[in-house]
Order: sequence, then C-alpha cells, then structure tokens
Amino acid sequence: MGDAVEPAEGGVVIDFLGEVAGWFADPANWTGNRGVPNLLLAHVSLSAVAVAAAALISLPSAIYLGHVRRGGFLAVSLVNIGRALPSFGIVGVMYPVTLAFALTRSPLGYWATLIAMILLAMPPMFVNAYTAIRDVDPALTEAARGMGMREGQVVRRLELPLGLPLIMAGIRSAAVAVVATVTLGAWVGYGTLGTYIFVGFAQGDEVLIFAGGLLVAMLAVVTELGLGWVERRTDQTHHGRRRQGARPLAISDEVVATRP
Amino acid sequence: MGEAMIRLEAVTKQYDGTTSPAVAGLTLDVPEGEIAVLVGPSGCGKTTTLKMINRLIEPTAGHIVVAGRRVGDMEAHELRRGIGYVIQQIGLFPHRTIAENIATVPKLLGWPRARIEERVDELIEVVHLEAELRDRYPAELSGGQRQRVGVARALAADPPVMLMDEPFGAVDPIIRSALQGQFLELQREVNKTVVLVTHDIDEAIRLGDKVAILNVGGVLEQYGPPADVLREPANEFVAEFLGRDRGLKRLGLIPIHAVDLEPGPSLAPAATPEEARQVMARHGVDWIAVVDGTRLLGWAPDTALVGAATLGDVALRPFRTVISHDASLKEALDAVISSRSLAAAVLDGDVFLGMLTAETIGREIVQ
Amino acid sequence: MTIDWGWIADHVDDMWSTTVEHLILTVIAVTVGLVLSLVLAIVALRWRRSYAPITWVTGVLYTIPSLALFTFLVPVFGLSLLTAEVALVSYTLLILIRNIVAGVNGVPAHVIEASRGMGMTDRRIFLGVQLPLALPAIIAGVRIAAVTTIGLVTLTVLVGQGGYGVFILRGIRRQFLTEALVGTVLSVLMAVAVDVVLIVVEQWATPWSRRRAAS
Repeated sequence: MGDAVEPAEGGVVIDFLGEVAGWFADPANWTGNRGVPNLLLAHVSLSAVAVAAAALISLPSAIYLGHVRRGGFLAVSLVNIGRALPSFGIVGVMYPVTLAFALTRSPLGYWATLIAMILLAMPPMFVNAYTAIRDVDPALTEAARGMGMREGQVVRRLELPLGLPLIMAGIRSAAVAVVATVTLGAWVGYGTLGTYIFVGFAQGDEVLIFAGGLLVAMLAVVTELGLGWVERRTDQTHHGRRRQGARPLAISDEVVATRP
Repeated sequence: MGEAMIRLEAVTKQYDGTTSPAVAGLTLDVPEGEIAVLVGPSGCGKTTTLKMINRLIEPTAGHIVVAGRRVGDMEAHELRRGIGYVIQQIGLFPHRTIAENIATVPKLLGWPRARIEERVDELIEVVHLEAELRDRYPAELSGGQRQRVGVARALAADPPVMLMDEPFGAVDPIIRSALQGQFLELQREVNKTVVLVTHDIDEAIRLGDKVAILNVGGVLEQYGPPADVLREPANEFVAEFLGRDRGLKRLGLIPIHAVDLEPGPSLAPAATPEEARQVMARHGVDWIAVVDGTRLLGWAPDTALVGAATLGDVALRPFRTVISHDASLKEALDAVISSRSLAAAVLDGDVFLGMLTAETIGREIVQ
Repeated sequence: MTIDWGWIADHVDDMWSTTVEHLILTVIAVTVGLVLSLVLAIVALRWRRSYAPITWVTGVLYTIPSLALFTFLVPVFGLSLLTAEVALVSYTLLILIRNIVAGVNGVPAHVIEASRGMGMTDRRIFLGVQLPLALPAIIAGVRIAAVTTIGLVTLTVLVGQGGYGVFILRGIRRQFLTEALVGTVLSVLMAVAVDVVLIVVEQWATPWSRRRAAS
C-alpha cells in the first residue's frame, strides 16, 4: 500500500493544517487534469449520472408496487442485500468485468464505477419510494377513487405529491452514498476527488491525503444539506416529520425502518 | 368502623403558570376498611388528588397522612410499595409473565421465593383467574383477564391501602359490571382502605361506602354515604351531577328484602269468586293472583271468574312480572311499570314472598 | 472472463485467516459503537435538549465518507487499527443512538406509570422495563450497524488492516476477477450470516413478542 505514512506528533498539528491550507492556496492545484475543478467535475458528473440512472430504473417500479401494495418483501430484501454489498467490492468486481467488455471510448474505470454506483443507489431509492406511496393514508386514496379519479390520476395527483418528501429522502440518501463511494473510482483508474487520496497514499503525502479527504467530506455534506433543503421544500403537508429534536442532517427513515 | 386510614388536610396542587389550582385545599378522611370514591366532571382534580396520595404528583401545599404517617416524610419508593395502585390501562409488563407481573412488589420488598410463589397462586385464585394463565404473557389475555391481573398485582404485597384510577374503564359495560361485582366481593374478604376515582356516578354509587363529589378545581361539594348524598344533595351542582333520576338511583341502593312486603291481591285456590271480588275491590284492581301455600300459581282477570266455584277451577295465566328478592327496588320498579297489572311478585326461588306496586315502592323514597 | 476455481481451492486457508481478521474488526467496531451509543442515548434520554446536538454531531460523522475519515485520522494515528476503528465506530453511532432512543421512548406510558406507582426506582425502571422492551428496536439497529460495518471493513485495507478488502485490492491491482469476487462474496456472506444470527438472538431474547391472545 505504498510507503508507510508516519503519524504526526501532537505539536505539529497546527503546522500540518497550515500545510493543508497551503495546498489549497496553491493555484497549481486548481488547474489541469489533476486540478480540483476537473476532478470535481468528473466526480460530480459520474455521481449525477449514476443517481439519475438508478432513479430511472427503480422509481417507476417502486411507485407502481407501492400503489398496488405488493412486493413489500422485495423492497425489504433489496435494502437488506444492498446494505450487505461492500461498495469497495462492487467497484473492484466491476472493474475486471468491464475491462472484459472494454468500451474504449470512455475513460478507464468509468463503467465499472458507474455500474457499481447504480447498484449502490437503487436500494434506498426503491424502498423509500415504495414506502412513500404505500403509506399514503388509504382513506385519501379511497376518497380520490370515489371522486372518480382513475388509477393513474390517483398516483399522479395524490400519492406522488404526498409521498414526495420520503422519495426525496431516499434520493438524498442514495446521492450521499454515491458521492462518498465514487471516490473509489480513483482506485480503478477513473479520476475523481479520490485521486488525491489514492496518489497521496502511494506517495506517502499526508497533506495530499488530507486535502482529498477534506474535499470529499465537504462535497458529501453539501450534497446532504442541499438535497435536504430540496426535500423540505417538497413537503406539502407542512407538518414536517416530528422527531425528538431537530434534524438538520436528516437520515432517511429507511435506515431505521427495515425489518423482515 | 375504623379511624381514618387516609387523611387529606387542605391539600392543594397548583401547576406553574396556571391561574387557578387544580386542587384547592381539599380536606377529607377515609376510614379504615372503606371505599371512598372520588367523582366529578373533568377538571375537578380527582386523578390529581389520587396521585398525590402516593406522591406521583407532589402537593403544593397541605398534608396527606396514611396510616398515621405523613406521606411527605417517607421515601417515595418505600411509600408506593406499601400502596396498591391500579390504573385504567393497567400497565402490565408485556415482557413478563402473569406470575412475574403479580410478583413485582413482593420481589421489590425482598420476600423469599417460596412465599412469593405461594402468594401468586393465592391471588390468582382470589381474583378468579384460570390457574393455567400463570405463565402466559399479557398479550395472550383478554381485557377482562388483564384487569384482574392488575388488581392481583396491586394486592400482592398485601398493602393496607389501594388507589384505583378508573380501574374498570377500559373494558366493555357488561364485563365492567361483572368486574365491579367481583371487586365488591373481594373487598368483603380483604377489607382494604380504597380510594377510587371514576367519572361514572353510577359506579361511584355502587362501589362507594362514601362518595366525594368534586367540582372543578378540586372543590369538595359533598362527602358522605351514597344514600345520604342521593337523598339530600348539598347544593345545585351536586343535584345536577347526580342527575335527574336521583330518586331512581336511590331506589337502586335499597334491596327488596329490606322492605316489608304485602301479600297484595292474592288468595288461596279454595277461595270463592265472591271473596276474590272483595279483595279485588279492596285493592282497586281487576285481577286476582292465586297462591297455594307459598307457591304462586298464576292470576286471572275478574271476567274469568264467572261460573267458577272456587279459584282453583279457573284457568289461570302465568304471572309474568316476577322479581328475585335480592334485586333492588329500582329493578322492581322497572318490572312493575312494564307489566299490565302494575304489580310485581317477589320470589325467593319458588317461594312467594309478597307483591310490590308502584305505590308501595314510592313510599320507600319518601322515608 | 471466468472464475479460477483452482485459485479458490488453493487459498482456503488464506480465506479463513482473513475471515477471522474481518470478524474481529467488525466485532470491535460494533461493540465499542454500542457501548458509546448506550451512554449517549442515556444522556439524550435524561436531558432532552441534548438529543438534537448529539444527533447533529453523529449525523455529520455518518455523512462524512469513511475514506475521508481515514484521511483525517491517518496523520494523527497512522496506518493503524485505531484509525480504522475510530472511523468504523463513528459510522455506527447515529443509527444505534436513534434506535435506542426510539426503542425506549416507544415503551407505553401506562407501563411506566404503573412501574412508578408500584415503587420502582428510576434505575430499576430503566434496566428492568425500558431496556428489555426496547430490545427489538435496539437489535434492529445493531443489525443495520453490523451489516454496514462489515461492508466498510473492506476499506480498512487501505489503512493497513486485513479483512476481505485484501482480496478485493489485490484483485483490482492484478485485474484478477476471481480474487476481487471472492473478497466481495465473502463479505456479503458474512453480512448475511451475522444478520441471521442477530435475528435469532432477538427471537431468543424477546419470548413475549410472539405470543398473541388465543381466540
């Protein structure tokens, strides 16, 4: 795993942080292939594509199944399996697999990372969307049908708007997980913010490692807060979900809820 | 008659930020071995008062004395282990068996194992629970069964005092009536000093040796035996609360066997129609009942007597409105007014004891 | 692109020792996480106002990717077990604390009232009534924490630890599918096995939850 990295000693902490600040201040780190903007863009774009693809695949079926109230077991199993899959392993496995089907026009490791991320993003999105639609008060859907709404309209006009916050929570949870894990793309040759960490470990450069970690952490937190803001805006009942105390960094309920 | 087992002296409870107290200066004695029922509209502080006795709520002012000791001077946990506490939703531990639930306080008090087991079995019998339920969990029992476990649990350490907050509230009316009856029977055996809270005036009247009518803010409007309160309500509020059928409620307290019964318009089968007509005229009715010794054979209208030599020759109709002698006058009145003859026959098993009419019943109220 | 079964047969011993490493890393993380979470949960239950800040901090720790946490810890603790464990434990805190608090709060109020009315002390009530009744929620949290930790332990190879991540990293380096696949599959198997064990533990620990009233 490259050269040994020595732990810093106590009094050197301030100096170290100074070096990190210096790294950020250095304009060279903001230009070119290995510059922050470039890697950031690669990182975010892959994440966005993965989340969008996962949403496209999982949301329609989840909404349908939630509406007809079937397949609960599937949802729970999906999330249990999804949780059991190590993201590092999925990326690692996808890499040789995608090499075998080399799509030469894309950057090395792009497809491995993308497929792994789609697999990672699907379970939380699926289970949240399923639960969101299924848990709409049956009295409301009955009233809607009684008013003459067709099934499609019930979904579009009633269940989707009401379920939107929870669906968004699932998307948010998935997005944060993806943004965190895309970092690993650097290990299979696709340049992301993880490149700093990967190269840093290889060269024994602590400052680089730390800077890379800081960038990834900030991106994750920004994603969480940003999508959290969007999620709150989608809550049309204006009730919010009351929990004991405030939840500025809300984690989706699927994390707590699933049991077979 | 005992002296006061529980004494409330000017007990007051005022919550922060409220303008008027929940309970204001309540003074009240509960003699040993009696059931005192606190009843009143919501907001009258009855539950608050109850909870101040075992200090689940602390009074703002005043004292409460139980068995000669001020509750404020005792350690709260120690106090509560000496008082049985039954609440409406019962609060059985879902994760403990029935036997373990009942054994809770004895275990807290450190009783030896053997004694606890014995006591648990004893109590299960006393509250009429099936012995096989001993090792089941509360989720497996019905509402009525759970309620009885709650009572058993409260009695486990044989506390002299019991506090009950709407103990029969969570079951349906039929079971509730049965449970109330069982409780009265139980009390005859164990003779606890009980303070019971209810919003149901009928329950209060049925169960209480003394009834305390509370008004909003814990104001004690009247306190006394139910018969007295019903007969002479202290004021407008109490009269209203007791309800317009106050008189009927009083009748509910008077058992038939306490009343002198008259034979009513009845004769032996050997009597003649002539004698029958005299009796009918004297009672002002148009029918006659036929009684052979102590057996009520039936009745006949005067039109059916024409041409018969004795009453025994007449085709008799069965006497429908009969009532047992251990029912209350209220039930008797109910029977009377639903009969054509406006009279009810009182029986003890097969033995005819006498008759009651609306008039004879009414005389009881006036006394 | 096929699986090299020969390689698998040759490396069974390797897989056993790696399994032990992986398991130890997991057990340490979940155990420490549970103990810490219990302490923090008790604090949160006792002082209601502290729940929000506690959730906030553990939420941040949850959001920050483990890799990033590694990078913050490496300059301080080096490529060590401590680095790995601190990061792993941080990830479990939020889920465990939330589940413990939710479980304890979920105990019906009338059961608590009856307990107090009978003269049980607060400590007795917490240990004898609230915790046992909160067990299903707590174990649900431990299951989630354990399964996610098992997946994350694969990353600890990057900070010098063992575990299935070793196979995955080597598989990536040599572009050897079999090895990477073995690492992944073993991780999934361990996660499933641990999940099942915890389900059984829950059933055993809560005999009252399955009985229902006879009709």
